[in-house]
Amino acid sequence: MGVHPRALDYAESFPNGVIPDESELTCGTKIVPGKSYGFFTDTTLCIGCKACEVACKEWNGLPADNLGLTGHSYDNTGDLGADTWRHVAFVEKIGSGGDRARDMAPFQSNWLMMSDVCKHCANAPCLEACPTGSIFRTEFDTVVVQQDICNGCGYCVPACPFGVVELSAADGKAHKCTLCYDRLKGGLEPACAKSCPTDSIQFGEVEELFDRARQRVESLHEKGATDAYLYGAPDTPGATGGLKHLNAFFLLTDRPEVYNLPAAPTRASGRVRPSFLTGLAAMAGLTLAAAALMSAGRGGDR
Amino acid sequence: MNAVPDAMAPDAMAPDAMAPDAMAPDAMAPDAMAKDWKGETYYGQASLKPSPFDWKIAAYVYIAGIAGSSQIVATLADRLGDGRDETIVRNGRYLALAGALAGPPLLIADLKTPERFYNMLRIYRTSSPMSFGSYILTGFGLASGLTALGHMAGERRRDGSRSGLRRAADMAQVPAAFLGAGMSTYTAALLSATSTPLWAAAPRAMAVQFGTSAMATAAAALSLGEQVAGDPGNCRRLDGLAAIAAAGELVASAVAERRQREAGVGQPLREGPIGAGYKAGALALGLGVPLACHAVNALSKRPSRGLSVLGSLAILAGGMVMRQAVFQAGNRSAERPDEYFRLTRREPEGTSPRRRVDRDLAARGARRLP
Repeated sequence: MGVHPRALDYAESFPNGVIPDESELTCGTKIVPGKSYGFFTDTTLCIGCKACEVACKEWNGLPADNLGLTGHSYDNTGDLGADTWRHVAFVEKIGSGGDRARDMAPFQSNWLMMSDVCKHCANAPCLEACPTGSIFRTEFDTVVVQQDICNGCGYCVPACPFGVVELSAADGKAHKCTLCYDRLKGGLEPACAKSCPTDSIQFGEVEELFDRARQRVESLHEKGATDAYLYGAPDTPGATGGLKHLNAFFLLTDRPEVYNLPAAPTRASGRVRPSFLTGLAAMAGLTLAAAALMSAGRGGDR
Repeated sequence: MNAVPDAMAPDAMAPDAMAPDAMAPDAMAPDAMAKDWKGETYYGQASLKPSPFDWKIAAYVYIAGIAGSSQIVATLADRLGDGRDETIVRNGRYLALAGALAGPPLLIADLKTPERFYNMLRIYRTSSPMSFGSYILTGFGLASGLTALGHMAGERRRDGSRSGLRRAADMAQVPAAFLGAGMSTYTAALLSATSTPLWAAAPRAMAVQFGTSAMATAAAALSLGEQVAGDPGNCRRLDGLAAIAAAGELVASAVAERRQREAGVGQPLREGPIGAGYKAGALALGLGVPLACHAVNALSKRPSRGLSVLGSLAILAGGMVMRQAVFQAGNRSAERPDEYFRLTRREPEGTSPRRRVDRDLAARGARRLP
């Protein structure tokens, strides 16, 4: 692989400052406000090294949590939360009845590894639920919690269909992946994608990523891995129930539930109107009944 | 089931996202996604985060319901009743103000950064019941304050005319009642507009359940007030209203449970200590006992005071148990990945697609909102 011509402008090993638009060198994407950016996480390339988890914690200054072992394969992180914004899931495919699987997938072992992250949904349910406006959509089309506004009401937590957002007991505010908003502002690729040694996590413009991902699925199918499919790209599982698409989407090779993802998540705000209007209709009916009782009782007494 | 790409029943899904012709054939999963879900989860790990709402929010929902519906009853008594309804009007207004005063401390105490509670009124958002509910509560509090304080300060004059303060109270009465209807039910929308399986499975039935329970508890509380004031005629009418509302709640609870069963969720509300508490406290004590008491009273020529009081107390206790059980069971259901996956699974081919309110409306909502 040749050296990117722009890299030659910065030949010193330690440049004095950040290289302008460094993301162009590291992932071939120039970060421009107003465009949509996201992650394409190709789980067939994940080797479970957890570099993304560590890079995320390092860059964002997140404290360690869940010290100890979960007993769930090599997953000692458990799930996404206030202090864990990237989480590598390890699925050991052992056959039915606890036996080891005897069939091997044509291209891979019987391990499934997947680096999970906030999906930065196109119609983010957490954003729609937030009553303070502390969750907002950035100029890079990502979803971020403003820590100086959040009052810890916690309504975004059950609103999220992927169980991503969590309230931190330490500071009483909601936290989740920011897609390295600060790095994007400085023209840097997000920490997890930059640290991924196999390019399982790819950062870029969402439309470009969709194209790249579709090609990847095609090529996997040609190689015989017909299980591969996209989760969260337009018109695929995950992008259901009004969610349109996920800015952080995935290539999976087993059912979503195996990776702890819902097959057809829905947008929680779609239930506001039916619920509220039905409730008001019930109250109107009760008011009519009460009005009838109130006036009927009186006529005879007079 | 055939392992073909369009094996999932497309009509069960949101049409914009799931119609097979809309799927990019390359991106769709011929094999993995066509497989049926056989109950696999990721080590049983929760796929969702349970809400941080505890007994305080459940208590608020209860208080908001009593306060909101009291204001509706007070309005009807004010507009339709005569002088003998004066205690209903007064008690309803005081009860509404008491609820509006007790609610905010509970809500603020539940915030994890309570000193920033005022950020609740920073924006207005129709997609968030937590947001528009804050405005309903604020407006209801102001209007209820006007009705109650105006009532307290401005008594009716000897000649039947009303003082200026009392007229101000009466003017605030109708908007207060409208906001009271919102107070009685927006909390159900608040729960349904989450991904929590138990709450998301039956948005409409739960709204009716909460609304009818609000009216039943308000009528029960006002009936107790009439017992104190010693007006058996008013008690009888309020008990009738409580019985109608409780009957409605019984039907709504049954419909909600059916919807939850159909979606394969809601086991925490039927099993274990929460389920037992719900059945014994909310259904038997909160609905069965009062319906029996009020039915006996309605049929007898001389209604028993004891039965009326017992029925009212049972409704008040049952309403609280119902809220607490629904909250606890909902949070428990969020920790069960199998319940969530069952709620959000694709329909296998061959089965007739169940009518799923949430998905149909989510699809419609997608077109409405940007």
